[in-house]
Formats: sequence, structure tokens, C-alpha cells
Amino acid sequence: MAASAPRPEPTGARLLVVDDEPAMVRTLRTNLRGHGFQVETAETASEAKASYDRRPPDLVVLDINLPDGDGFEIVRHIRERSGTPIIVLSARGGERDKVSALDLGADDYMTKPFGIDELLARIRVALRHLARPATGAERRIRTGELVVDLERREVTVAGRQVHLTPTEYDLLKVFLTNPNKVLTDRMLLQQVWGPDYGDESHYLHVYVARLRRKIETDPQAPKHLLTEPGVGYRLRSEDL
Amino acid sequence: MRRFVPYFAALVAVAVTTLLIQLAVGRTPVANLSMLYLVAVLVVAVAYGRTAAIAASILAFLTFDWFFVPPTHQLVVADPEEVFSLALFLITAVVTGTLAARERARANEARRGEFEATLLYEAAFRIATEPDLDRALSAVAEHFRAALDLDALGIEVDPESLARPVIAARDDTSREALRSTGTELRLMEPHGTSRSVRIVGPRAITGDRARRVRVVPISVSGNRVGRLQVLPRSDVPDLGPSDERMLAIAGAQLGLAIERARLRKGAVDAEVLRRADELKTELLHAVSHELRTPLASILASAGSLRQRDVAWTERERDEFASAIQDEALRLDRVVGNLLDLSRIENGNLVPHKAWHDVGALVEDVAGKMRPITAGHTVRLDVPEDLPPVELDYVEIQQVLSNLVENAAKFSPRGTEIGIRVAQDDGSMRFEVSDHGPGIPAAEADRIFAPFVRLQRAGQATRGVGLGLAIAKRFVEAHAGTIWVDRRATDGARVVFTLPVQPSGG
Repeated sequence: MAASAPRPEPTGARLLVVDDEPAMVRTLRTNLRGHGFQVETAETASEAKASYDRRPPDLVVLDINLPDGDGFEIVRHIRERSGTPIIVLSARGGERDKVSALDLGADDYMTKPFGIDELLARIRVALRHLARPATGAERRIRTGELVVDLERREVTVAGRQVHLTPTEYDLLKVFLTNPNKVLTDRMLLQQVWGPDYGDESHYLHVYVARLRRKIETDPQAPKHLLTEPGVGYRLRSEDL
Repeated sequence: MRRFVPYFAALVAVAVTTLLIQLAVGRTPVANLSMLYLVAVLVVAVAYGRTAAIAASILAFLTFDWFFVPPTHQLVVADPEEVFSLALFLITAVVTGTLAARERARANEARRGEFEATLLYEAAFRIATEPDLDRALSAVAEHFRAALDLDALGIEVDPESLARPVIAARDDTSREALRSTGTELRLMEPHGTSRSVRIVGPRAITGDRARRVRVVPISVSGNRVGRLQVLPRSDVPDLGPSDERMLAIAGAQLGLAIERARLRKGAVDAEVLRRADELKTELLHAVSHELRTPLASILASAGSLRQRDVAWTERERDEFASAIQDEALRLDRVVGNLLDLSRIENGNLVPHKAWHDVGALVEDVAGKMRPITAGHTVRLDVPEDLPPVELDYVEIQQVLSNLVENAAKFSPRGTEIGIRVAQDDGSMRFEVSDHGPGIPAAEADRIFAPFVRLQRAGQATRGVGLGLAIAKRFVEAHAGTIWVDRRATDGARVVFTLPVQPSGG
């Protein structure tokens, strides 16, 4: 076994890990490097912003619960400059923090304590999405047995055509153009119903339920449209 | 006897006036001389009031008729003109007398009213400004006793509000007299709660004489909550109507004061409960964060070790393992601090003291804290010739560890942490200093309270804020003191002292 041989310098995507816990930072750095990523770390907001400005990374893993709300400041700082994916780490029970971070433009979140494999999976999905952005320019989108023909506004599930109302179709389209990304209630409402909406979560819940009845094989155990409790929804897709 | 004084005065006044008129007769017309009687009536009215004035008027009328209106020495009046003039005199005398007497009564009433108002105002002021009910009632009792010139005044309230009756007395004899009026009985109530009830006898024994004790109820919105016991002066055994009124008002005022004290106590209890609740919530919040943070690192490291998709190098594996170990130790410290705090809060804090070498203790702490201070330089300044100190090794070690942990936590890596021990006269002085941002003077006392952490912009804060609270309790249990040295200009310096007793030989 080459267990003791020094690991070659990783050449993969560049990640910035921001956390005020030195032990967490060390563990994540070692692990992510082991998985081939280049890792920069920061323990404070100013370090994080400086590192980002010096050389923007491909993805940011950020503990949102830095003291004095600095985590949100970092999200804002990055979103003013780029669409670099941001995965937010937050304490359990911090639903409000998560939603705020996602509304500010963060892409995904994980609750501490988290499994390291799950974090790696989320990082890979975000990076893949980055490499192959869903532009909405394709004629047909396919995920599993669900196929959407954007030109004809036709939706088929396992070859069977499904009729959607215009609102249901618009909602599904928002999900398909943001696959595997957590979308907060507010984001969905504003993209589908318009910028004046934001607090009318009940509308959204009704339409998501209808959409599930039409596109899910078992609406009670959805495979495509997943609920993120207290935060919003996510379209899960292996193909997008 | 007293009530005949006004009539006697009227008689004297009229007699003197008659004598004066007798002397003046022949020199002036008699009709004008009758005016002198009016003066007499006025004087009596002002001095003795309305009844005396009317008595004087009638007496003057009769005397004048008898001595000076012809035919003299009989009540018959010959001249009809004289009849008219006499009648006029009588009416004038009565009216003038009554008016004068009323003025006098009014003046008296005003003076009395002013006295009462002042008395009640002062009593109310004392009740309102003195938060301790016992002291407030004592002051008020003495106040009323002195103002109403009583021998003794007792205030008795239900035992929940006031443990024992308050008595204000002119002297010890009076105090004993009032105390002896009641006998204490213990009554068993149906539900088994025992209540002390004082049965007040109608008479107090002073020396060889039995004296009446007045009882005035103290009530709040119709409910009796206690009573005033009044022992008047032995030579004035009866209370005047205004004194009675005053005491009734005093009873009502005291009722309100007692009610207010009860409500205030209730409010304080509720506030204490609310604070305790708040503290518990805060504690749960802080503790769950404090426990979960190391857990998150432990889980991430353990998960990394179990991953099969990467062949971890020896060094990497060691890194994960030591992260797990360090964070587990940190968890242990948090749990230890929490146990200490709960032990302290329960009051079970008795240091197990023995004689220990301070230098060894400091070195022990420095060694144990090495994983935490790895990023800092630790400088020990401990003289060789320090005497042993009697202390609880575990507790003082914990104090020093908490201070060192804080220093490491709040100062930048690469800076120096100093641990210094020196002997002051009568005490051993320990100092832990760092080169971090320091502690603002305004926060210097607050940080010793549990769950207080300094919030600084741009700086990570970690920990529940239990460390200093525990350090303070431990040091104080050793009869020592702990404080933030405000003179430290570069970073923070926390100092604590332990008393040094000569070791007996």
C-alpha cells in the first residue's frame, strides 16, 4: 500500500472552505484534498473575502453562522461579483438562516453535523451543474421518465402525455432550469408569479401538490420534486 | 367637669361686663353701654364656641334687662321701645356669637386638617419609599403614635406578610402593656395547616390598672388583613373623634401598603421565575451549540476515515484521528464545566483543600493545555521559593485551565500567553495574560456572569461563556478574588488571588 507516500498536489476544482472552527477547517481541507480538490481555507469573513478577491474559487463551502452575521456578508460579497456555487453549512434549527442565505443566492445547504460523503456528493453536483449549465436553450429536457419539450410545451411521463396548466408548466420549467438546487418558496413565487409575490407560500404548496399528482408515479413519495423542510423545494435529477 | 367650663366662662364674662357697665352708668347713655355685652359674647364665642356664645347672649340679655332696663330688678319692660331694642340686642348677640364661633371652628378644622394631611402624607411617603414592609410599618407606627400622643400603637398583619407584630411605644412599660393584651394561640385548621392567631383582650394591664385597648381594623377592599392596637395615654383614656378618624384612615393606608408589598413580592417571584426560564433557554441553546460544534468535527473526521474511495496517507489518517481526539477532549471539558456549574448552582461547593506546590500545579496545567495552546508560545513565570498553598487542586487547576483556554481562544496564533505567579503579602497572585484584543473596561465585570461572551466585530467567538463564571465561583469558594486587570494595555490580563495562611510551622 502506498499509504505513507506523500499525496501529489491535487489538480481538481478549487474550493474555498470558510468555517470559524479550526478543527472543522483542518478536517475538510485534508478530506477534500484527498478527493483531488484544491482547497483554500478561511476562518473569518475578512480572510474569506480577501481569498475570494485574490483568486475566485470554483465553489465555496461556507459556515453561515459566523459571528456577527458575517456569513451572510460573504454570500452578498460573492453574489455581487459572480455566480460561484455556494454550499452553506448551518446549525440544526437554523432554518431562518438557511432561507436567508439561499435567498441571498447560496445554492445549497447542509445541516451540521453532516456526513462527509453527503457533502462530497453535493459539491460534485454543484460543480457538474457549473460545467453544464441548464440554459433553457435545449429543445427537450429529460430526467428519468419525465420528458419536457420546451418548443411545444409538451410534457410526457413514461411516454404518456400529461396536460399542465400554464402556471404548473412555468413552475416545472423553473425547477428544470435549476436542477438539484434548493429553491426557496420566495424564489419560486417570484419567478413564477412575479416580483410582487414572496410571502404567499400557500399558493406554491397547492401548485407543487398538483404538479406532483401529474408527474410523480407516487405523489406521496415524490422522486422528482423533493420538499426541503422549512426552506423550499428541490428538483432531484441524475441526468441534469 | 370639662363640659361646664364654657358656661362658667359665659357667666364670668357677663358678670364682669355688668360690673363695668354699673361703674359707667350715669356717664354715658345706657342704650350704648349694652354694646359692651356684645364684646363679651364675641370673646366667649371665639374662646369657647357656639354653645357658650348663645348661653352668654341669653345671660347678657336677662342681666341687662334686670339691672338696667326700667323698671330695674324685674324682667318686665315698661317702654315698648325698650322691648324692641332688647330684642334687637338678643338677635345681634346670638348672630354675632354664632358667626364668631363658626369662624373659630373653621380655623380649628383647618389646622386639624393640615395636621392630619401632613401626618398621612408623611406616613404614605414612608410606606412608599421603604421597600421592606417590617421597617416601613415600624416607622409608620411610631409616626402615628407620636403625632396622636398615644402610649403605644401596634400593627398586626397576617403572618405571611409580617412575621411578628410591630409595636411603637412611649416606653417599655407601655410596650409590655400592649404586648400583654394578646395571647398567642395556635389553631389547627381543617387542612392541617397551622396558623398563628392572636386573640386581643379588651384591656391592657399597666401597673395596677387595667386600660382599654382600642382595636382598629386594617382592611383592603373589604377584606381584613390585620389590625391596629391603640393604647391611649393613661390620663386621656378616650380618643377624640378626629383621632378615631385618623386611625381609620391609617388602617386603610396600611392595608394598601401591605397589599402593595404582597404584590411586589409576587412580582419579584414571577420575575425570578421568568429570568430562570430565560436562563434555561439560553443555556440549552448555548449548550446544544457547544456540544454540537465538536461533534460536527468528530463526525466529519470519522466519516473521512471510513471512506474507501481514497487511500489516506499515514499522516492524513493521523490528522483525522487527532481531530477526533482533540474535539472529544473539548466535549469532555464542556461537559465537565456544565457539571461544575450545576454543582455550584446547587450550592454543593466545598473545596477539598490540601497543601500543594503552586509551581507544580502551573506546570501541570501548561502541560495539559498544550493541544489548545499549540499555536501560541506559553511563558511561565513562577519563582522557585514559593510556599505551598492550601487549595483544592482540581478546582484551581480548572480555574487556570479556563483562563489559559480563553487566552488561546481570543488571541491571534503566534502570540505569547503568559502565566505568572507571585506572592503578595497574605495572598498568592496568579496572572494569565495574552496579546489579543483585550477586554473593554465596560465589560470587565460582566464577563464573569454565566453565558456572557464578548461580541467583537470580525472576530470569531467560541465557547458558551461558562469558563470565567466557573473560575469566579471556584476562586470565591477559596475566599479569593478574581478580576480583569484594567491596567493591561496590550491584550487581556486576568488575575486571581488565593489567601495564604502560615502553614502552622
